[in-house]
Amino acid sequence: MRKNMENLRSMKNKIKIFRAIHNLTQEHLAQAIGVNRQTILAIEKEKYIPSLDLAFKISRYFGVNIEEVFIFDEKTPTVMGT
Amino acid sequence: MKKNTFYLIFGCIALALLFLFWYSVELHTPLLIEIAFILGIVLVFLAKRKVTDVIDDERDVKITEQATIRTMQVFWVVFCAFSIGAVMQILYVPTFPRQPMGTHPPDLLGPRMIGYIQLGLLCLMVFLYVGFRIYYAKKYGEFEIDEE
Repeated sequence: MRKNMENLRSMKNKIKIFRAIHNLTQEHLAQAIGVNRQTILAIEKEKYIPSLDLAFKISRYFGVNIEEVFIFDEKTPTVMGT
Repeated sequence: MKKNTFYLIFGCIALALLFLFWYSVELHTPLLIEIAFILGIVLVFLAKRKVTDVIDDERDVKITEQATIRTMQVFWVVFCAFSIGAVMQILYVPTFPRQPMGTHPPDLLGPRMIGYIQLGLLCLMVFLYVGFRIYYAKKYGEFEIDEE
C-alpha cells in the first residue's frame, strides 16, 4: 500500500533545463517565486514534490504550461479505465 | 528586516534569557525566568513578523509538520503508558490476590519520582523532535549538495 502511494507520488521535472535556457541561478528563481534556494535544489533533485500552488508559480515564471515543467510519469487509473 | 538581523536578535534574546535564568536561580525567584521566557518568545514572534526575506517556505513547513506529528505519535504512547502505570500505583488499585487488611504493597515509585520521570519524558520529547526533524530534513533534501 505504502509502496503504491510512493509510486503515485513520483514526479519528474525539467526545472534545471528551463533554468539553463533562461540563464537563471537557483537563487534567482527562488527569490522570484518566494522560496528558499534549498527548496529549488530539493525539487530539482526530486527529493521534494512541490505543492500545486508552487508548481504553477514555477511554470508561470517560465511562461509555459505546468505539464511542460512537471512530468507525472506513473500510470494512474483514469475515468476511462485505461 | 533581513534574515540575518532576525537571527542576531534571536541570539541576543537567547543570551538574555540564559543570563536571567542564572539570575533567577541566584535570587531563588522562578517567576522572573518564567515571565522572561514568555516575553522572550513573544519578542521572537514579533521580530519574525518583521522579516522581509523568506525564512519558512512550504518545504520547511512540511518538515516541521511531519516532525511534530511523528514526535507526538511516539510521545503520547510512551507518556500515557507510563502515566497509566503511575496512576494505578497512586490510586492503589487492588491487587490479586488481595493483600491482608492493613498491609500496603511496597511503592515502586513515589509520587514525586513519578513527577520527575514525567518531566524527564517531556525533556526527551525535545530530543525526539530534533531527531525527527533531522530525519525529515534529510528526506526532503535539506542536506543535498549544491551543483552550482
